[in-house]
Amino acid sequence: MSDQETTVSTSDQEIAELMVCRIASEMDESGVTVLGSFTPLAYASYMLAKLTHAPDAYMVGYNAMGMPAVELAFMGAEAAAYRGSTARWGFIDNVNVVHLANRGNVEAVSSAQIDQDASINLSVIGDWNRPKVRLPGGVGAPEVVQNYRTMLAYFGRHDPRILTEKVDFATGGRYPISAEARRARGLQDGPVKIITPIAVLIKTDDGVPFAIESVHGGASVDDVIAATGFELRVPDDVPATTEPTEEQRRLIRERIDPFGTIRFDFMTGAERAGYLREIIDREWSRAESALADAGRVRG
Amino acid sequence: MESKVVELEAIGEIVRDGDSVALGGAWLCNHPMAAVRELIRAGRRDLHLLSLIGSADVDLLLAAGAVGRLTFSMVTLEAFGLAPNLRRGAESGSLELEELTGLSMEAGLDAAGRNIGFMAYPGLGSPPTSDLVKLNPEVYGFVTDPFTGEQELVVKAIRPRIAIVHAWRADRLGNAQFDGTFGIDDDLAKAAEIVVVTCEEIVDTEVIAADPHHTKIAGFLVDHVIEAPFGAHPTSHVPCYTFDAPELLDYATVTTAGGEEQERYVTRLAAESEREYRDRVIGSRGPVLAELARQARVLEVAR
Repeated sequence: MSDQETTVSTSDQEIAELMVCRIASEMDESGVTVLGSFTPLAYASYMLAKLTHAPDAYMVGYNAMGMPAVELAFMGAEAAAYRGSTARWGFIDNVNVVHLANRGNVEAVSSAQIDQDASINLSVIGDWNRPKVRLPGGVGAPEVVQNYRTMLAYFGRHDPRILTEKVDFATGGRYPISAEARRARGLQDGPVKIITPIAVLIKTDDGVPFAIESVHGGASVDDVIAATGFELRVPDDVPATTEPTEEQRRLIRERIDPFGTIRFDFMTGAERAGYLREIIDREWSRAESALADAGRVRG
Repeated sequence: MESKVVELEAIGEIVRDGDSVALGGAWLCNHPMAAVRELIRAGRRDLHLLSLIGSADVDLLLAAGAVGRLTFSMVTLEAFGLAPNLRRGAESGSLELEELTGLSMEAGLDAAGRNIGFMAYPGLGSPPTSDLVKLNPEVYGFVTDPFTGEQELVVKAIRPRIAIVHAWRADRLGNAQFDGTFGIDDDLAKAAEIVVVTCEEIVDTEVIAADPHHTKIAGFLVDHVIEAPFGAHPTSHVPCYTFDAPELLDYATVTTAGGEEQERYVTRLAAESEREYRDRVIGSRGPVLAELARQARVLEVAR
C-alpha cells in the first residue's frame, strides 16, 4: 500500500461499514447463519448479505428460524426477526443440528482476546478464580468457532492486549485448523479470519502464524505488526481491503442501521452510555409519534 | 384435575432457601422478571441459580443477595455493559461460580429431561478447545465410544429442582404458548422437578386448542401457572413488548454505582407489590413498549 493511500483518515462509521462489507462477503446461500450474542456489526453484515448477494441465505435469530433481513432498531430488531420468519425452534434443537452437525456457515464472534492459536477469551481477564475483570462468558461461541465452516472473529480495536500471544483463559478455540486435518475428523475445513479496524488476518494451518490478508483504514503493514501481540506472516504483496460500494454504504446507513448501532463495537463503556441514550431517544420518539398518529386517525 | 393457577405471591413458598432454580429467557429477552422480583420480596437466600444466558434477572438477584451459587454460560447486560453484580461477586471471590460452555449446559439439561445420567457432547473437538472442561471435572467427563473406540467428551445431567419461565399465555393446566423468544424454556420445563410458568395472560384451554402450534410447553410438565402481565419487564416479551431500554440504562447505572444507591433500588422493589411496580415503572409507557415491538421493519429483499 502506498503512502498516498494512507493519508486520508477514515471515520469510525466508514471503517465499521468496511468491516460490515468484509464480513458480509463471507456469507453465501449455503448452510446457516446465526445471530449470536450482541454483535451489532456482525448483525449488519448478515442483513447486508441478505439484501445483496445472498437473499436466500438461511438465517436464525433468537428462536426465529429462517428470519428475514430486518432493520437493526436497538429495541425493535428482536420483534422484527419473528415477523416473516418461517419456524420457531428451541435453542437445543437449533444448536444440535446447526452448530454440531456441520451446518454452521457464518457467525462472527467478538471476544475480549484472541491468540496466535485462535483461542478466544470471553471469561476472565486475569486468573479465573480471582479475576481482574469477570467477562460475560461465551455461551455458544466455543462451539461456533470450533465447528463453523470459517472461524470469523472481529474486534472494534486492534491492540496487542486483544490480539495477544496467549489468552488469559481459553473459553473456546479451533483445533485443528489445517484443512486436511479437519476433513479427516469430519469437520468443515475453512480457515480462521480476524477482522479489525485496520486489517484482515488469516490462519490456514496449525503451527503456522496468522498472515496479513489485507489492510485498511489508512493503516500500513508496519502499523498492523506493531498493533498485534503475536507473530505475523507478511506476504510480499498485501492488498488493500475492498472498499464498500456507495450502494452498500447507502443500504447500511438508510435501511439496515438507521440508528447507528454498528458503532457500539468501537466505543468504550463511557462513550457508549451517552450514545446509547441518543439512540434510545430516537427510537422511543419514533414509537411515540406512531402512537400519536394512530390516535389522530382513530380520533 | 384441579387448576394449577396460583398467585404470584406463591413463588415465595414454592421456592425455598438453598433451592436450585433455573431461570428462562435469553439475553435481554423474556426472563421471568416478575418471579425474580417476587423471590426478592420473599427474601429468598442462598439460591443456586442456573442460567444459560442471563441478564437483569441474574444480576438483580445477585444485587439482592439472594444467590449462593451460579451455574451459567453467559450473564451480560449486552449494550448496557458487563453485569455489575456478577463482576463484583466474581472479582471479590464471594460468589461460587460454575461456568460451562453453552451447548454443554444445554446437553446436560437435555439429559435430565430424558432421565439419563449424561449426554455425549462432541462440540469442542479433541483435545477439547475450552479451558472450561478442565475447570469442571464434576460436570465433564470422558467415555470410550463402544463403536469407534474413540474417547468422547460427555456432560453430566443437569437437573434443577425448580424451573421458572415466562410464557405469552397459558391455560389452567399449564399448556404454555410462546410467539417470540423462548430460549431453552421448553427444555427447562422437561429438566426440572418443579415447573412454574408465569404468563402475560391465562386463557381458556379452547384458546390454546384453537392455535396449538404456538404451544411449546405441554401441560403435564407444569406444576404452577401464574398470571403476570409485563412479567418479563424490563426484559422483552415478543410479541407484546420490547425490552425497556431507558429502565435498563437506569438499572445499569444504579448497579454499576453499587453501594447505597443499589441498596435503595432493591429495597424499594422488595417493599412494593408487583402491581405497584407496574404502576411506578411502566405506567403510561406500556403502549410505547408495545409499539416498539410493532414498528421495527422487515426489509424487503430485491430478487
